[in-house]
Amino acid sequence: MAVCIAVIAKENYPLYIRSAPTENELKFHYMVHTSLDVVDEKISAMGKALVDQRELYLGLLYPTEDYKVYGYVTNSKVKFVMVVDSSNTALRDNEIRSMFRKLHNSYTDVMCNPFYNPGDRIQSRAFDNMVMSMMVQVC
Amino acid sequence: MSRQANRGTESKKMSSELFTLTYGALVTQLCKDYENDEDVNKQLDKMGYNIGVRLIEDFLARSNVGRCHDFRETADVIAKVAFKMYLGITPSITNWSPAGDEFSLILENNPLVDFVELPDNHSSLIYSNLLCGVLRGALEMVQMAVEAKFVQDTLKGDGVTEIRMRFIRRIEDNLPAGEE
Repeated sequence: MAVCIAVIAKENYPLYIRSAPTENELKFHYMVHTSLDVVDEKISAMGKALVDQRELYLGLLYPTEDYKVYGYVTNSKVKFVMVVDSSNTALRDNEIRSMFRKLHNSYTDVMCNPFYNPGDRIQSRAFDNMVMSMMVQVC
Repeated sequence: MSRQANRGTESKKMSSELFTLTYGALVTQLCKDYENDEDVNKQLDKMGYNIGVRLIEDFLARSNVGRCHDFRETADVIAKVAFKMYLGITPSITNWSPAGDEFSLILENNPLVDFVELPDNHSSLIYSNLLCGVLRGALEMVQMAVEAKFVQDTLKGDGVTEIRMRFIRRIEDNLPAGEE
């Protein structure tokens, strides 16, 4: 399903990043990095409207030849970025949305773990498994 | 007086997240303050003991249970009344020893550990050890010396959480030999 999932802290450093084809990891890191500008743009462009509707999903950030990059930002300005294969046309907006919601719930659980210090890299096994399950699902 | 008035048998509702996070904060602070996990376990047990010796009064006042005639009855009251009242769960009682002085409380879900994942460097920490202290303290106040310890823990990868309780002896004199 997704080929790369990243969680970015408020200050724009990565809390978590994982990509499915491990051989080309750097490419995805760049892709996520680039997308952050788009995220910022989107937030400031329609910041007011987003806050009013409590809409966290940012939609498609930008498409490349082979991939599509989607974004989601929590109210505490933590960003989730997901890269999906653009050949996968079965993925609709709604599915992406629900995947982000799942990611958000899982992230909340990580935050509630008393042994996790906010701002650290996420090393939770439960979170890892959840992300993995989203990556292998119907490839 | 007003506090006394609202102390009925029905339990008050409380956010389970707040409860879980409060306990989590307590344990992690202890982990920061003490060098090794054994000391933290000991401290949790001691705190639990101090809670237990107080909580038993509240429990007896609210639950209207009478004197238990044997250890089996005690086990029943602990699982079905006490755990229900304070943690909202009902553990099952199994694995009685032939002599009837040991049993296991099986907690299918432990509200204390809802979000917790033990980090690798705390492998010997007994996260919910407070519960053992509470059980020990409370039963000591009703003239029963027991030993309680965790033998299985979902945090360590086991399927369920199991607390093993062992009856040691009746405390004959009415003045309990406490630590405090």
